Order: sequence, then structure tokens, then C-alpha cells
Amino acid sequence: MPQAASPSETRWQRLVRSLLYGRGVDRRVKAKARLGLAIVAFAGIYAAIALRLVIFAEQSEWHGAHRTVSQDAVATARPDILDRKGRILATDVKAPSLYAEPRKLIDADEAEELLTATMPDLESKELRERLTSKRGFVWLKREITPKQEQEIHRLGIPGIGFLSENKRVYPNGPTVSQVIGLVNIDNQGIAGMEKWLDGQGLAALHMAGLASDRLQRPVQLSLDLRAQYALRDELAKAREKFKAKASAGVILNVNTGEIVALVSEPDYDPNNPREANDPSRINRMTTGVFEMGSTFKVLTVAMALDSGKATLRSTFDASHPLHYGRFAIHDYEPKGRALSVPEIFTFSSNIGAARMALAVGVEGHKAFLKKMGQLDRLRTELPESAEPLVPKHWGELNTVTIAFGHGLSVAPLQAAMGVAATVNGGLLIRPTFLKRSEAQAMRIARRVLKAETSRDMRYLLRLNAEKGTGTFANVDGYYVGGKTGTAEKVVNGHYAKHKLLTDFMAILPADKPKYLVLILLDEPQAVPGTHGFATAGWNAGPTAGKVIARVAPLLDLEPRFALPKSDQLILANAVSSR
Amino acid sequence: MRYLHILVIGALILAASFVYKIKFDSTLQAEQVAKLHGELRRERNAVATLRAEWAKLDTPSRIQALADRHLDLKPVKPRQFANFDDLPMRPLEVVPPLSGDPISAMLRLSAPETTGSLPAPTAAPR
Repeated sequence: MPQAASPSETRWQRLVRSLLYGRGVDRRVKAKARLGLAIVAFAGIYAAIALRLVIFAEQSEWHGAHRTVSQDAVATARPDILDRKGRILATDVKAPSLYAEPRKLIDADEAEELLTATMPDLESKELRERLTSKRGFVWLKREITPKQEQEIHRLGIPGIGFLSENKRVYPNGPTVSQVIGLVNIDNQGIAGMEKWLDGQGLAALHMAGLASDRLQRPVQLSLDLRAQYALRDELAKAREKFKAKASAGVILNVNTGEIVALVSEPDYDPNNPREANDPSRINRMTTGVFEMGSTFKVLTVAMALDSGKATLRSTFDASHPLHYGRFAIHDYEPKGRALSVPEIFTFSSNIGAARMALAVGVEGHKAFLKKMGQLDRLRTELPESAEPLVPKHWGELNTVTIAFGHGLSVAPLQAAMGVAATVNGGLLIRPTFLKRSEAQAMRIARRVLKAETSRDMRYLLRLNAEKGTGTFANVDGYYVGGKTGTAEKVVNGHYAKHKLLTDFMAILPADKPKYLVLILLDEPQAVPGTHGFATAGWNAGPTAGKVIARVAPLLDLEPRFALPKSDQLILANAVSSR
Repeated sequence: MRYLHILVIGALILAASFVYKIKFDSTLQAEQVAKLHGELRRERNAVATLRAEWAKLDTPSRIQALADRHLDLKPVKPRQFANFDDLPMRPLEVVPPLSGDPISAMLRLSAPETTGSLPAPTAAPR
């Protein structure tokens, strides 16, 4: 009997049993109980569905948050670029960008109207095209201001959103532009050190979507921002004063090869990339090649001294112009007699330099310039570089002209590297834009000259600043040495008398050189105060002097006074050892 | 037997509530971590912005323009650098011991000095 419940059954079980199965139970009660059970079951199912919905909602929100994080990386984060003392040359800041998802737009016309009302610089036609396209995602405007972001946010247009992107800023404007280069709107380097950075694996990181992190190590350059600015300021003044087409300059540490400052003016503001494409704003120090003029005599004399074909006491005949076929080599100020090596250098005698080169011979000359890195493209970290223009058939005439800096076009930085090797003890060190210690430099340095030759060259350069063509660059207290160079530019295959390129190579201090300063002026004019001259001694030389006076204190060079003349200070050891 | 059951069930409930608490705490912590990460990122961005702004304000061209406009300072000449070794001893300034007010006498002695940018005082107007 069902009712006769076994004692092991609990009261609850008994109740359920009697309600569901018992015959004696009232049918209405039974129906009610079944209904109740169904209600409970369905309520459970609905509760499960509701719960699941809540979870879905939560999850999709979480997905959204995740997406914005990854979209932070749309424009690559780049490491900061610092100067040698840690001052910022380039850095990233976050800037919002405006985008639309056209498929989610409800009313494209309304959106367009509202947007153009708040941001009048948006092109209405282009905007409409973008908003009505069938694509899932379109940029409307990159890098808007926070204020604009606020205003558009308040419009509340569905399908319009913001992404925060990395924006590259150059706080120093055009001051370092020729070295740093710039980036495009996607924060990829397109010139200068920025492009070099991309070549260092940053581009690959970007591809992998890993370059969103700010924790990348900053890159420290060899530049000194203050020296760079001083150089640029003086070059800009010089360009204006001498009405030159362009001016350029470099300060090179001769013992490490570090480039402390490099300017090529006119330059551009990397915050405004449109200027950068103007061909007159190229970097003349590395991308241009020039006939350097008489500064090349430094290399010629160093070659003659190093080969043993000449000593400081040798003399060379400069009494008559040198004739080669229909060419005649003249001196700027003919002396009409034999000149000693120091005289050739300080008078800047073309004939003397040519004779010195001829004494070494064509093959020797060529091999020497090759050794000094003047015949091959100089590669630094900058992606832009230029191949020197070397004569195809190098005959005696070529040797004669190249001896005084015509007929071979090199990048000015390249010439600076060669001259640095003649004064730093005879070591050729490839220039760099990255910080480098002296020990690191020694590892890559190549001995190209004897130490004695280098000492003689220091003497000659100092002598030239004491009583030669470089007197205008002689800044009291810094023991400057230097050599001028004036080259006529080639126009339509002929040398043009009044289109000059003037340059000046200065070393300081000459007894123990630390820095080389190269100043270059493109087509300077004779102006009041230069007595009708436009040669280097009147423009590039004084400019170098001004630069040195301003930059030397910044580079921690101590001024020294009452130093003896060059023949006593620099050659003293030589005399005592002989 | 019954006590054992009760004990086990009690332990079960205890363990469950404990696990729940741990889970809840960890969720809370994870949220906290996410929040801090976000805050960190915001702060870093703010720092970057401020550093950029500082660099912009500190750029030499701006400083020079400001200095030209507001200061009488001139570039230092090489002759104006000196070593400590070059400095002579400061000449002894003696205050007469029996003057009425020794402090004011001392103040009068340390009149402004002439430097490269501070010109020598011109004669007092009559």
C-alpha cells in the first residue's frame, strides 16, 4: 500500500510521493503540485538564460576594452632620442585621432554636417566620401587636439570614435633636423636618424605589433644640443651676412669620431614635414659632394710628408705657372720663387701643392686618398650619403688639380674625417652620430699616417692661423689652427669665377687637437667689410672664429693664454728628439 | 554517523565559502592591478607630455630670444674664464674697531662689484 510508508522514508519524501503518485490524493492538489514543479523548472531555465545574457554583456565589454589597448599601437611608439647630455631631441606624446566606422553610422549626412561644423578644416566632400564608403574603418583626421576631441565627443554621433596615437614631436624645431630626420604620419622614420632607428629592428617590432610600449631604451646621440644650436645660429647669421645660398658646418671630435654638431642651412622643421622635401634643404655635409678647394692641400702635404718625399725643410719650385697642355696652374698670389713646405701651406700655393703631389706620383696619390677614405662613399648612421665624384681616368693632370682640391668632389664630412686623421696622431676614425668612447674609437681606428707627420701637420695648421690665410679664425685663448679653401663651382662644364664654394677647417687646440670645426659657405658674395673678396679667408674663416668662440666654452675647453708660438710649442719635442 | 555527516557538510560549506572568498578577492585584486596599470599608463603619458613641453620651453632658440629681450647678459669672452688657482686672496677689509656701528660699516664695505655684465657704478648724480 502506497500510504503505508516505510519508516525509513522521511516526511518530505512521503509528502512528495503522496502528492505525485498517491491514488487517494485529491486530483486538484496533484495538478497543482505538478504545475508548481513546471513553474520552478521554467523559472530555473529563464534564470539561466538571464544570467548568461549578463555574462555575455560583461564579456563583450571586456573585449572592447582589450581592443582599445591594442589599438594604442596604431602609430608605433618610438624610443626617445637624446643628445649627449640627455636633453630631449625627439619624443613621443599621445594624441587622439578621429575615426569612423561607416557601417555603424546611422545618418552619414547628419554626421558630416555636425563634424564640419565643429572642425571647419575637414574637407566636406572628402569626408562624405569616407563616411558613405562601405569600409569597416576609416580615419577622418589624425592627431586632433584634446579640445576638439571633447567637442566631437559631446556631439554623440554613433560610429565615430577616437584612438589615442603616438605623435612624434621635436621640441627643438629645425635646430637638429638635418641629423634627426623625421617620421611620417604612421610614426615610421623616413629620413635621418629616425630612419636609421627603423633599420635597427624597430620596423620589425612594429610589424609584430609589439612596439606599443613606452619602455624602449632611449637612443643617445653624440650631438650636443647647445653646441649644435650655437653652430646653427652663427651659420644662419653668416649666410645672411654673406648672402650665401647655403651654409653648413660640422664639429667633429677628432679623437673619437663623434659628431658633436652638424648643421646644414637652410634646413626644415621636422614638425612640419612639408618643408623637408624641398631639394634646396638637403644635408650638404653628407648628401652633397663638393670640390673642397685648398683645404685638400692638408691631405696633399700630409701625403708628401708621410711618404718621406718631403720634410718641413724641403722646397718646391713655384716660380712659374705649371703648364699642362692647354691648362696652366697659377697661384692666387704668385711669389715667383721656390717655396718651402710651410710657405706653400701658408701662402696656399697651388703650384707648390701640385709639385708635392707629383713628387709622390699618380699611383701613390690615388692610393693615399683611397687610404684616407676620400674615394669611397662614407657611410655613417644617416641613411643619406653621397658617392664621391672620382675622375674615371686619373692622369697626371688630375693629380695636379686634386692636389689643391679641384677635380675630386667629396662629401664635406668625408674631407673632415681625412683632415681629422692628419691631426689626431694619424688615425682614421669613421665619424659617428652615436655616443662613442675613446676606447671604442681606438678599436675601429686605422693608422694611416705616422705620428710625426701628424705633429708636423698640427704645426702647419697652427702656423697658418698665426700668419697665413687662417688668421681671421684665430680666437685668442683656444690655440686654433686652420686652413681655408676656396673652390670655383662648375657651371656648364666650366669653372665659374664668381660662383665660389668657400670652406674652413679649424682644429682646436692645435697642440693637442680635440675638435675639428668645418665651415662651408655656398656662393658667398663680397660684402662691405670684405674689401671685394669672397674667398674663404674673408667669410668662412671669420665664421669659424665666431663659432669657436661660442662653442669652445660649451665643449669644456679651457682657454689658455700666453702660449708660445707653434714652432716652439708643437715642434719643440721634435727638435729635442732630433 | 550523523555527527560525521554534519561535520563533513559543515566543512564543505566552510571550504566553499572560503574558496568563494578567495575567488572574490583575486577578482578584486585583478581589477585593482588593471586599474593601476591604466593609471600608470596615463601617468607615463602625462610625464612624456610634460617632458616634451619642458624640452620645448628649454630649447636654446627660445632661451636666446628671451635672453636677448630681457637680459643684459653678453656671451662670455675667453678672458673671463679663470681657474681657482688664478684667484688672488681677497684683500682684507678692516672695520675700524671703534666705529659707532660695526655692522653698518661692514655692509658699506661690501658694495656691489663690477663684473663683465655689471658695469662699474657711474658717479653719483650731483
